[in-house]
Amino acid sequence: MTTPSQHASPFIDPVKLDKLAETAIKIGLQLQPGQDLVLTSPVSALPLARLVVEHAYKAGAGLVTPIFTDDHITLSRYLHGRDAGFDRAAGWLYEGMAKAFSNNAARLAIRGDDPALLSGQDVTAAARADLAYFSAYKPAQDKIQNFDMNWTIIVYPDLAWAKQIFPGEDDDVAVAKLASAIFSISRVDVGDPLANWTAHNAQLHSRTEWLNGQRFRDLHFGGPGTDLTVGLADGHLWIGGATTARNGVTCNPNIPSEEVFTTPHAYRVHGHASSTKPLSCRGAVIDEIFMRFDGGRVVEASARRGNDVLQNLLDSDEGTRRIGEVALVPHSSPVSQSGLLFFNTLYDENAASHIALGQCYSQCFVEGASLSRDQIQAQGGNMSVNHIDWMIGSGGIDVDGIDDAGQRAPVMRNGEWAY
Amino acid sequence: MTIHHVPSYAVDPVKLDRLAELAIRVGLQFQPGQDLVVSSPISATPLVRRIAVHAYKAGASVVTSIYSDDEITLARFDHGHEQSFDHAADWLYEGIAKACSNNAARLIIFGDNPTLLSNQDPAKVARSAKANATAALPARENIMNSRVNWSVVAYPDLGWARKVFPTVSDDIAVKMLADEIFAASRVDRDDAIGAWKLHNAILKERTNWLNGQAFRDLHFVGPGTDLTVGLADGHNWIGGAAIAGNGVTYNPNIPTEEVFTTPHARRVSGYVRSTKPLSFQGALIDEISVSFEEGRIVHAKAAKGNDVLHKILDIDEGARRLGEVALVPDSSMISKSGVLFYNTLFDENASSHIALGQSFSHCFVDGRCLTPEEIKQRGGNSSLIHVDWMIGSGDVDVDGLTADGRSIPVFRKGEWAYGP
Repeated sequence: MTTPSQHASPFIDPVKLDKLAETAIKIGLQLQPGQDLVLTSPVSALPLARLVVEHAYKAGAGLVTPIFTDDHITLSRYLHGRDAGFDRAAGWLYEGMAKAFSNNAARLAIRGDDPALLSGQDVTAAARADLAYFSAYKPAQDKIQNFDMNWTIIVYPDLAWAKQIFPGEDDDVAVAKLASAIFSISRVDVGDPLANWTAHNAQLHSRTEWLNGQRFRDLHFGGPGTDLTVGLADGHLWIGGATTARNGVTCNPNIPSEEVFTTPHAYRVHGHASSTKPLSCRGAVIDEIFMRFDGGRVVEASARRGNDVLQNLLDSDEGTRRIGEVALVPHSSPVSQSGLLFFNTLYDENAASHIALGQCYSQCFVEGASLSRDQIQAQGGNMSVNHIDWMIGSGGIDVDGIDDAGQRAPVMRNGEWAY
Repeated sequence: MTIHHVPSYAVDPVKLDRLAELAIRVGLQFQPGQDLVVSSPISATPLVRRIAVHAYKAGASVVTSIYSDDEITLARFDHGHEQSFDHAADWLYEGIAKACSNNAARLIIFGDNPTLLSNQDPAKVARSAKANATAALPARENIMNSRVNWSVVAYPDLGWARKVFPTVSDDIAVKMLADEIFAASRVDRDDAIGAWKLHNAILKERTNWLNGQAFRDLHFVGPGTDLTVGLADGHNWIGGAAIAGNGVTYNPNIPTEEVFTTPHARRVSGYVRSTKPLSFQGALIDEISVSFEEGRIVHAKAAKGNDVLHKILDIDEGARRLGEVALVPDSSMISKSGVLFYNTLFDENASSHIALGQSFSHCFVDGRCLTPEEIKQRGGNSSLIHVDWMIGSGDVDVDGLTADGRSIPVFRKGEWAYGP
């Protein structure tokens, strides 16, 4: 029997782990004095969770409530659970979280779960459990996606995850390599992580200012296996890096973050796209995805690996067949330069330009906070229980912006910013 | 940072699995289709994992566990700002209450270090305890009134083991505590479930006799103790297996040796001395002596932890009155072990005891049909707290006083005085 380690592996640098925790509280959340914090974490990330709690209280947190999940228990359900159970989820917990967020609690998620936990388990059971979970989680997810309050996501170098990325290495080496990649990509292996993040945020902000000034009607992605025109939503807004939540707190919702992103038009996407990296989803890996869009809708989809999971996913709801996000990431980003496939969206989405099936973000609209759900849909925003990013960028991809008059301007060439 | 690394080899995996199975099959008598909400210290993860396996095998829909962590609790006292200590996770407790009102079963794993907060500011400890108790009311109400099947089991956490066995090495301490837990929980034998059937039958016989007597008062006499505990009108003795509001027969405590009922909150008089230390919110209170007049504590002092004792008594008016009286023979397995556990689940089963604070509605005849006003009228107590403390020993006699003034021996020298 394995006992979750209550202290970090000696192969994880304790100083950098502490800096990651501090960066999460001070940059990721900018946690406010008196503010409560809801912390979600795998039990395996306990050493990082404890450091996060320490920095939260030092920053004046009201109460930090940790909610831990355990891969062993998740898996038990598939190994021993009865079939009817897979349509249920702990709605009471997520409604509770939504209530905490309504009372201005911040939210910090630590990820690091085994990406292949459910590979080999029944795909339909996993799909049902996922749908039940996302439906139950929606009250909390809505508040997160609408940025009602400050939130952020970080990761912990869990052993099972490290072994996915470095399958040939010894356990200790795999953890050490993943930890070092996380610290580097999260910009906490520098002398002053907080200053580094301030500079990085300024650079991302200059990108979004340029894109917002251009007012493109469409983006066109061209490269091997991809010829895709992505219409942008009416009144779309490009954002990236630090963002100001509705409670007035400026937060960095993702650590790391290399992307600038906006809302595509759910009904104006045409052409085809091929994935440039595998997608880790529902504990399975989906690879070599091909999709054809017509009128914004996925009309053809296949994957060389994990095709059954992909097809199940697309059948979740109508909105999963349309896209809710388009993001630009240069091929030279630190994640891309690491050359690693992380099987984790937070990391892999920062390696390449991407699109996301499913729910759009209301803050990716001009004055999005004041738009109703109907207005968002009228402007081209998509609605779904899912939000699944998949990578279509690489060093072989060019992106053009097309304005209302049909004029094309180069945005990216060979995967790098062209302006 | 304290490194809490429990050597997993110290905890026998076969008995641990048996304890998990017992918790699901006897503690909860888990019903197919029920959800399960577990509360646990994070150190008890090995037990929670086995519990999840047995719950899913028994037909659970969703198992959700909520973990606490000693280091995280301490971080608040070490680094938290002044305003932190009045905050509580009301949203979480309301959520748990909602799960239970949708028929989720509830399992609580005990394993907290009993002296975790003993070096912290008592005012902050009291503020956070009060905020937490207030927030927890909706969730606790389901348990106090047994609306759903619930149970408590224990896990040998290292911090707890060090407190109980301070002179031995960590792995020996954990092994010794694990063995005590397994023996007291009757999972040290192959047929644990059969042993519990027999044990429940014996406890049932005791409660049947006490309910047949319908005593007006119990009279405790021993060194430093001369206490008359009036029993509530329509009180009901219970012990061992019980039937929850959802109709499921369950064992709320593993282990359990006690039979207990509701005293009359306004009819307790005399004085009483504790026979074991009391561990409350991480602080230890020892050598308590209190005097009662008309049910209310009028004098109280403790040789150790006196300030914490008074903080408890000042939480609310009900904290100064009794909500439970329980009888446990001095020969109980836990008493015989001679171990002081610093944990109510165990220590209350070593000795007869009384509890300050909230009464249990199921300790009344037809208790579930009674309104809060009716319960109060019959002598039930209400409070944010329910704190058991030990008044029994091999030197304590208990008599039952009937309505017509007869005195009937119940305990002599800490043992049952009536022959079944």
